Amino acid sequence: MLRRTFLGLLGAAGVGAALGKPARAAGNQHFTGYPESFGVLFDATRCIGCRNCEAGCNKVNELPPPPEPFDDLSILKVKRRTHSWTYTVVNRYDIPGAPGPVFKKWQCNHCLEPACASSCFVRAFTKTSQGAVTWDGTVCVGCRYCMIACPFEIPTFEFNEPLTPRIMKCTLCYPLITSGKLTVPGCVGACPVEALVYGKRRELLRIAHERFHDFPGRYLNHIYGEHEMGGTNWLYLAGVPFRALGMREDLGVVPAPELTSGALAGVPLVAAAWPVLLTGIYAISRRKDQVARQETAQAVARAVAQTQAEAEGKLKKAMTKAEAEKKAAIEREVKKALEEAAKPQSREGE
Amino acid sequence: MVKGRRLLSWAGILLLSGAASFYGIQAQGEKEPLKAAATGRPDLIKIDTLAAYQKLELPPVTFSHDKHTKALRQDKQDCTTCHLVENGKLSLAYMRRKNSPTAALQEIYHANCIGCHMERAAAGKKAGPPDGLCRACHNAQPQIAAARLDAGLNQVSHFRHTDPKLVPAEQNGKDNCSRCHHEYDAKAKKTFYAQGKEGTCRYCHLAKEKEGVKSLEQAAHLQCVQCHLDLDKRGVKDHGPHDCAGCHGAAAQAGMVKKNQEWVAALPNKEVPRLKRGQPDAVLITHDPKWGEGRPGKPLLMDPVAFDHQAHEKYNDNCRVCHHASMEPCEKCHTLLGAKDGGSINFEQSMHSLSSRASCLGCHTGQQAAANCAGCHNHIRKASRPEDASCRQCHLLAAETAIPGGASPSQICALKPPQKAALAETLLKGRNLNPGTYALEEVPETVEIKDLADRFQPSKFTHRKHIAALLKGIKGNPLAEYFHRDPGAICQGCHHYSPPAKEPPRCGNCHSGESLLARESNRPALLAAQHQQCMSCHADMRLEKPAATACSECHQEKKK
Repeated sequence: MLRRTFLGLLGAAGVGAALGKPARAAGNQHFTGYPESFGVLFDATRCIGCRNCEAGCNKVNELPPPPEPFDDLSILKVKRRTHSWTYTVVNRYDIPGAPGPVFKKWQCNHCLEPACASSCFVRAFTKTSQGAVTWDGTVCVGCRYCMIACPFEIPTFEFNEPLTPRIMKCTLCYPLITSGKLTVPGCVGACPVEALVYGKRRELLRIAHERFHDFPGRYLNHIYGEHEMGGTNWLYLAGVPFRALGMREDLGVVPAPELTSGALAGVPLVAAAWPVLLTGIYAISRRKDQVARQETAQAVARAVAQTQAEAEGKLKKAMTKAEAEKKAAIEREVKKALEEAAKPQSREGE
Repeated sequence: MVKGRRLLSWAGILLLSGAASFYGIQAQGEKEPLKAAATGRPDLIKIDTLAAYQKLELPPVTFSHDKHTKALRQDKQDCTTCHLVENGKLSLAYMRRKNSPTAALQEIYHANCIGCHMERAAAGKKAGPPDGLCRACHNAQPQIAAARLDAGLNQVSHFRHTDPKLVPAEQNGKDNCSRCHHEYDAKAKKTFYAQGKEGTCRYCHLAKEKEGVKSLEQAAHLQCVQCHLDLDKRGVKDHGPHDCAGCHGAAAQAGMVKKNQEWVAALPNKEVPRLKRGQPDAVLITHDPKWGEGRPGKPLLMDPVAFDHQAHEKYNDNCRVCHHASMEPCEKCHTLLGAKDGGSINFEQSMHSLSSRASCLGCHTGQQAAANCAGCHNHIRKASRPEDASCRQCHLLAAETAIPGGASPSQICALKPPQKAALAETLLKGRNLNPGTYALEEVPETVEIKDLADRFQPSKFTHRKHIAALLKGIKGNPLAEYFHRDPGAICQGCHHYSPPAKEPPRCGNCHSGESLLARESNRPALLAAQHQQCMSCHADMRLEKPAATACSECHQEKKK
């Protein structure tokens, strides 16, 4: 192709790329959650650290019995995390200045835009409209990208299962609730002081604000999970700073998929544009070589022709000169011969 | 030339990494935090006067004031050794009256401090660092931290100062108030004594010096310390402390507390007599009648509040708690709609705001946080619109009929002050102050809570014992006794959201049995309601037993 054509195409591609809107995963709108999705509100000022929730979860999900029994409260001194045999843990925090110990129940937060779902390339995770983030074992390949992606470090892997390891995490009792076996998740039903409340997410937000209003000074005026990582379906209230409860406060309000969508959107552009670009550059440079070769050949031909022409000219000149000399020599010889013939006749006549 | 280019690029990389590590190292550098004031002194002053003008070349000087005064006193020298006197007034700055251009300032310190040290060293006395040992004074990491407690007068120590035997009255008076209390005439630039207008120093002497008015710190030191020194010089035995540790040190303050207690115990009534400033006994809090002007057809409707000023004086250590900015009536700055002087806080907010100790409701609510009260009051909602009955505890309806012929609120607020005071007295006397409860014999002794008995046996709740304990907590507290006059009032801590009655409704009447999905209100289901009620009360009253997780202390587990 002509260089001009190529440059024109390149310019058009650039303008086209620049005009397009920046690509954002999960839609170009700000996702505020499925409108009727359910969630859980946890109130750290009510929790007494009895671990009934852990026992309830273990029972309804038929999980293996834990190493320590659920009424062993001394285990709370150790900061635990979720494991493949326990979907939720309660940890105890002794905070200087607080009237007593504060307890926090930790489990999958069922984000509105989950990072695990965004990182899974086989779509094993689904954000259901009911609110739960569920995991489908039939397509999972066990790559464990979800464990890396989760900002709360929740999904756990059954490392000691060689043949059929699963990703284990809280399901918000989705299968049990949708099949009608339970009306509220196992942990919520087991709590004796209603530190956990199950309901529609927007209702939970309203209830939380009501509590702020009714009991000023008791709560920190912030619902953890309202906006963190774009919002979660599990909301937390506390009377102490959340970082004192080991909860990250540096997560920001941008959902995880949106953080990576910019880089990911660049991939098709790169895949489409670079081959064209590089091929074009290759084509141009090859053409350049070709043209150079042609010109060289032409120059050589011209030089050869010129030399030949010169040589022929010289030859012709020499030939003409030789002709002329030969003619002149012949004439001289003839003249000489004639003079020679005329001379002796005069001598014999006496 | 290729070799040269490679060398050049390597040099460039090394330069960049060198620069980066240089800046990186700077960012890492951190001083070791100073150990907390286990070895703290109350007299440490950080001399960094030049910091206001330029970046300091050397660390600020940590100066121990008491050490120096002690040393000087041994030589029979007084404050004027270091503090200049101007018009009979001591200048609290060192060897100067005010700050001057920086070079001279530095020279003042160096020449005088080091000069004195050198003189004393030459005379063989114990002296501070001499010339040349800069870092001996400009110590970047002093091993001692300042541990200075705030000092001031409380009710008892103030009363001790009013004793004319300790602090003699000035010429024409029998009271010695004029020794400390003064007003300022801005035109004449002089202070003068205004009787009956004494207030706290803090009304004018603020945290920082302002327009020639000394800061509280400066004023207090000049007034208090100077007087104590004078008394000491005159040989008075109980002259009061005049070194830093004597007021600001922890040991000294503990000693003062003890001495105050002993002094009060030695008084005839074992309590501090009432301050004599001509304050009213009863005050009628009403609107300012001027607020009703320009509002035809919109009368002011607030029923007045009869305020027992005499009783409230006993409940606070000083007047500043309520009279926080001046002794003027509240409505002067806190107007109907709010004014700049009042910090844009209007009259209603100034009396009812829950977050300020100076407001009536704010103080009362603060008292509810005490362990005796918190068990019930911590989980009683702070409603945005309280019921009429609770307003009537202060805004007595009787006001309208107390005046012969009756009077509307806008008429009452237009009364003259003597009439208002008389009305207030009448209203206060007319209140019934007897705390009421149902007779303990009428209260059930035990209540069996068995609605949800499933995993556990029914709980035998010692009802009468609990009521008796709560009543004991109220006794002797006038605030609690006033607001719990209705016999059913104290029952409302548990038997809530229903009118006070001798037989209140059961919990299960309102709290349903099952744990429902999030309801329209913050009303828990029965199990959680009962647990929250008991557990939160125990926790808020700081009771160790029964612990919330000690299930069998309240109900035995059923054997399987």
